[in-house]
Amino acid sequence: MSASLEKGVRVLKEVIDAPIASYFNSCVHCGLCAEACLFYTETGNPKYTPIHKLEPMRRLYEQEYTVLGRLKKVVGLSKPVTDAELGEWQELVYNSCTLCGRCSAVCPVGNDIVYMVRKFREGMSASGNAPEGIKGAANRTITIGSPMGVKLPAVKAQMKHVEKDFGIPIPMDVEGAEYMVMLSSMEIMNFPEYLGAIAKIMQHVGKTWTLCSTAFEATNAGMQIGNSDLARVIVSRIVEGAEKLKVKTVISPECGHAYTALRWEGANLMGRPFTFKVQHIIEVLGEFQELGLLKTEGFEKDRLTFHDPCQLARRGGVIQPQRNLMSMVAKNFVEMPDAGYMNWCCGGGGGASAIEEGEELRLEAFKVKKSQFETVKPDRVVTACANCRIVLEEGLEHYQMDLPVVGLTEMVADHLVEKGA
Amino acid sequence: MSITHDKEFKLALASLPVERQRQVAVAFCRRVQDLSHDVRVKSALESAGRVDITEAELLMASHAAHAARVDSFAQCGRDVGWTAQAGHFVAKAAEVCVRIAVPGENIAWEAAMQTRLARTCQTVAEGLGTENTEAREQYRILENFLQS
Amino acid sequence: MIMNEMQLLTWVRGPGLNLAVGIFVLGVLWRLFEIFSLGRKKDLSAPRAAPGASGLRTILRRTLPAEGMLKKAPVTYIAGGVFHIGLAIVVLLFAPHIKLIQSLIGVSWPALPSQFIDLITIVTLVAMLVLLADRIMNPVKRFLSTFEDWFTWTLTFLPLLTGWLAVRHLLLPYTTMLALHILCVELLLIFLPFTKLFHAFTVFGSRWFNGTVNGHKGVAV
Repeated sequence: MSASLEKGVRVLKEVIDAPIASYFNSCVHCGLCAEACLFYTETGNPKYTPIHKLEPMRRLYEQEYTVLGRLKKVVGLSKPVTDAELGEWQELVYNSCTLCGRCSAVCPVGNDIVYMVRKFREGMSASGNAPEGIKGAANRTITIGSPMGVKLPAVKAQMKHVEKDFGIPIPMDVEGAEYMVMLSSMEIMNFPEYLGAIAKIMQHVGKTWTLCSTAFEATNAGMQIGNSDLARVIVSRIVEGAEKLKVKTVISPECGHAYTALRWEGANLMGRPFTFKVQHIIEVLGEFQELGLLKTEGFEKDRLTFHDPCQLARRGGVIQPQRNLMSMVAKNFVEMPDAGYMNWCCGGGGGASAIEEGEELRLEAFKVKKSQFETVKPDRVVTACANCRIVLEEGLEHYQMDLPVVGLTEMVADHLVEKGA
Repeated sequence: MSITHDKEFKLALASLPVERQRQVAVAFCRRVQDLSHDVRVKSALESAGRVDITEAELLMASHAAHAARVDSFAQCGRDVGWTAQAGHFVAKAAEVCVRIAVPGENIAWEAAMQTRLARTCQTVAEGLGTENTEAREQYRILENFLQS
Repeated sequence: MIMNEMQLLTWVRGPGLNLAVGIFVLGVLWRLFEIFSLGRKKDLSAPRAAPGASGLRTILRRTLPAEGMLKKAPVTYIAGGVFHIGLAIVVLLFAPHIKLIQSLIGVSWPALPSQFIDLITIVTLVAMLVLLADRIMNPVKRFLSTFEDWFTWTLTFLPLLTGWLAVRHLLLPYTTMLALHILCVELLLIFLPFTKLFHAFTVFGSRWFNGTVNGHKGVAV
């Protein structure tokens, strides 16, 4: 066994817990998980069946944690996990899985398959079998502080730009602010308007907020590659920053996986509960709306539909607030089929969009989003995740569908009544 | 008149009719045009620069610019190429230039903003930091434009 | 040693049953321990309060198809449902079975009329055949299936079939058929804890874990 395979196997053994054991022992090969997975439904290739993506881990579990499995190993009746096999599984575990969680939602025996994939990635990454694209992101996170290599000067440049564009100052490192706003590299690079929208909204509701110069990056490449140590590095920077600035709430940006990493995995990675709240920006806006703090005027009149980012809705538990916000600023909001909890993944999450060689597969999987749009026929699509926006735009462009994609936070900000001068 | 800061810059742009705004926007874009290697961007700007352009032609140019913008997104998790990202903002600016604008929209200001982002990406890529004089050059362009 | 049918029947009712039930009980206990003793880490993230989202809810809810799924795999859901319910009815509401349970643990309850049970058995057998056909024809099921899937199907089918044949006095003399039926049940019991059939027990744990994790996030699954 090579050193890297040994490392991978050791990590896998560590992460296997009672839930995972229960799940493997409950699977009856019914195939329903495949019917929920866009990578199977749009390609018809059974190898993308979610539970199959875990086969090496299942065998390892059997061989290490069951009496029968250990007996079989002793008498030479079991197939060991090899480097080659893990290499072969890379496509299944990364390219064809966005950690969207639909499989976990439908398994009749209750298997949380996405949880298992997330754990399997720990072993895959420890054994060196993560895709190059995500490995790079992970490295840059450690060395530069951001998976895309976005450094503080770039953030400051965007801040200045936004200040000019919107005429509102962007605070940084303000101690005692109520909210600490995180950004994802995607927003900093592609959607600087998002920061402007935040500034507008915060000014409107009269809440104090700040960016943090040592922790502006929310994107957690460690989460995506499946490396807990790496994920912890990113989270601890955020925790340090939040505690140093004594903020009440940290706001996770319009990025799905950043929210999952910080809100649900963060405390477990740190080994202690947070001393501050974590909320997704949509949750924050939803709260502002409920408290009556958002005074809006006018409505979008065209036919709008909402794409639920998987990590926000199904995996994050934020399903209703975006709908309430849409109703506040849009007259003609229509839901696509399977909207809400069971919405279909854009196909680019979980690090998938960083994997160049997976592009063809992603575009094929996109057909399910295409058919949702063809059914609901919207004039524009609204969503709340920077990566979903890009993946949707790329998919729509590929299939020659003329359908603009916009961000919900920006849309809400556009309708705020200007108070005073 | 002499323009020295963004507030008056933005107001002056807003006061122009849409077709004049489009021409100024194109002028801003020309300064950063070479930061994009996408022929669709170049052709969109060329179309936008024509005073006699029809709505149908704008629509076609729009599609081309849109495709160029979508193609040039920085992908989540990939190493950011600042040079390529400059091209992305040029495409964004070009898309603004060929938008069939509704009165009340300040497409010239939007184009100015996107081209400044393109310039910032370029200076970052060349290791020259994030400070640049694009804004001042834009004021100059507007001043000359208003006089003509 | 060649037994006559009476000797076989006596054996399966006596030592055979003891052996099978013994392996079954010990097997179940051991396997439950083997699985759940691995434990799980406490979740330190702040929970989101959500009424109705819990492990218990999921145990019940997962019996029904998730939204939008029934039309994607109607055979699996419908035949699977008919099979499980039919099997439960036949096992628990057939008079001779209730008598057996009464002799083992002292509890009994009313039985269903035997013509009814006969009909249910046929329906259940048909459902199982449909599931077998689907496992062969559906590309995903075919791809996933291993020897264990065919083996456990057979282990489950035979008791139903032999029981039905015995009651109907078909194929073989009653004594032999009955002995075979009990033998098939004993085989099922012996292999249950060590195959995918163990989902009969782990399904509660799996659904509960899934429901709890999602309930923590405020999502009722």
